[in-house]
Amino acid sequence: MTQKLVETRNLVKTYVLGSETINAVNGVSLSIERGEYVAIMGTSGSGKSTFMNMIGCLDTPSSGEVLIDAIPTSDRDSDALAKLRNEKIGFVFQQFNLLARTSALDNVAVPLIYAGQPSAKRQEKSAAKLTAMGLGDRLDHTPAKLSGGQQQRVAIARALVTEPLILLADEPTGALDSRTSDDIMAIFQELNAQGITIIVVTHESEVADHAKRRIEFRDGKVIEDRMVTNRLIAKTRKDTL
Amino acid sequence: MTPGKMIQSLSGWLVNVSIAMTALRTNLMRSILTMLGVMIGVFAVTLAVAVGAGAQSSVIQSVNALGSNMAIIVPEPDVGGGRRAFDRGRLTMRDARAIKKQIPGVLYLAPQLRSTIQIVAAGNNTTTNAVGSTADFAPVTNSAVQTGRFIDEADERSAARVVVIGSTVAEALFGNFDPVGQTVRINRIPFTIIGLLESKGSNFGSDNDDTAIMPISTMRQRFNGDTLSGPDDLNLLFVGFEDASSLVESKISITQLLSERYNVEEKGTNPFTVRTTEEFLEQTGEITAIFQIVLVAIASISLLVGGIGIMNIMLVSVTERTREIGLRMALGAKRSDIRNQFLVEAAVLCIIGGIVGLQLASAVGYAMTTYAGFLVPIGLSVALGAIIFSACIGLVFGGYPAVRASRLSPIEALRSE
Repeated sequence: MTQKLVETRNLVKTYVLGSETINAVNGVSLSIERGEYVAIMGTSGSGKSTFMNMIGCLDTPSSGEVLIDAIPTSDRDSDALAKLRNEKIGFVFQQFNLLARTSALDNVAVPLIYAGQPSAKRQEKSAAKLTAMGLGDRLDHTPAKLSGGQQQRVAIARALVTEPLILLADEPTGALDSRTSDDIMAIFQELNAQGITIIVVTHESEVADHAKRRIEFRDGKVIEDRMVTNRLIAKTRKDTL
Repeated sequence: MTPGKMIQSLSGWLVNVSIAMTALRTNLMRSILTMLGVMIGVFAVTLAVAVGAGAQSSVIQSVNALGSNMAIIVPEPDVGGGRRAFDRGRLTMRDARAIKKQIPGVLYLAPQLRSTIQIVAAGNNTTTNAVGSTADFAPVTNSAVQTGRFIDEADERSAARVVVIGSTVAEALFGNFDPVGQTVRINRIPFTIIGLLESKGSNFGSDNDDTAIMPISTMRQRFNGDTLSGPDDLNLLFVGFEDASSLVESKISITQLLSERYNVEEKGTNPFTVRTTEEFLEQTGEITAIFQIVLVAIASISLLVGGIGIMNIMLVSVTERTREIGLRMALGAKRSDIRNQFLVEAAVLCIIGGIVGLQLASAVGYAMTTYAGFLVPIGLSVALGAIIFSACIGLVFGGYPAVRASRLSPIEALRSE
């Protein structure tokens, strides 16, 4: 059974820069179903990041509608959107965005704080996710003591700790070398195999080739939306586990 | 609210406290400097409140040292400015006796003559304020002898050359020896010391123990060289009452009685001043209250400055951590979560600053009480008040930065560098 997890209807985002009006996203309608692994491609300024921010409920559309899990979001207030992000969406950023001087465990536990989980449960779940990411022996390490790849794995653990339906990754390998990038790609494919819907924004073709579907943006519009042929399969990450 | 929800919201606040502590520790030096402002403010306000309270209790003590349930009658008009001699009333023993006879509730009558005398003994000499009075002087002024005895009616009848001295006078003349039974010369006339008064301490620089008391008859015979115009005249009359409840009425009756006796109606102004100890308490209470308000108002300025410091630092902190705010919002923090996080941070800064300031104020208050003899009480209510007040400072001055943080757009906050 297919199910529309993310749906956009004629989505528009307009910025006003001085006298100029720019349509960063200009009437995008598409849907992403449960279990998909989508790469959103495009050059900088193509509108892919703006699109991503809107489906992540971080930014509000100028017009059009975003539905997450068949729920319209335009009439939601900021608290309801916060709850939606907390429960249904996990974010992974290019710069990891971990809290400095805070242990890996406490970093992963942040979303659970806002989910209102008690301390013991937060610790338990966070430790489990970190262990699954191969960082079971680094729970008390601060980001400064971790490599880039390890930091991104902490960030992925944090994105997954509330068991979201969707993982939104914005240039997840942009700050990593190619070998570590492969690790992250492997993790994503494994997570997708477990049933998590993954949406990756990237400008690297190689990263997009790990996905199942690729959507290309240009000037705020979708110019190509196709299934990936010759999909790359990342090496299993046994060496890092 | 269900118990489960309550525990959840409580643990939410505890989380905020731990987030705040981490943030404060991260910028330790800055946190300490910010705290310093609140600390100095709380220190100043606490000390001001305590000094005011100390002054108040010291005033009450000094009025009590004067005596209690008492009316003081002075033969001088109660008008401002200079006093002319002919305005002066003539308060006499006859008036005193009439008061005792006609005013209900009079328990003690202590008519007084006052003079400055020089006492010489064993090669030492000292000048003191002498009081000529009756045996009633002791109960009406809450005085008691430490050794020996007070003057009595027999001394009065025989105009005996006996004197009761305060501890300051005793020390000046005899050091630590018991002066009772010693002979001294007062203006070259020999007197026997029959008693040593219990110490009453000093109030506002006036030493209650620098005094000598002798029978009024003796004073009149031996030292009547001053300005009184008749052989029966008095400088001062203390009237002691059974209890305080009728003091206001008694004052009115005394004023009326004296007015009648001296035909005040014709003269227009009353040449006597009648005061009660309650009035003294009230008046001095008002003065010390004003003193306290002014003191606290001045000290509050420093607390205000401390509060502005808090606001400044919190604004800087919000700006610096914009990205963190955006991240937390992306991960599911509601606006109220962000607001509370910064509120708690400001409150924690203020409470810690407040506690340290309170400790400092206690230390200085203790030193002032111990080494300067000035009463500076810092009670539990002052301490609790200071801490609650500093938390409020945090909430008030941390409020604007916290609300500003919570209003940030998640995506703009995340994008900021």
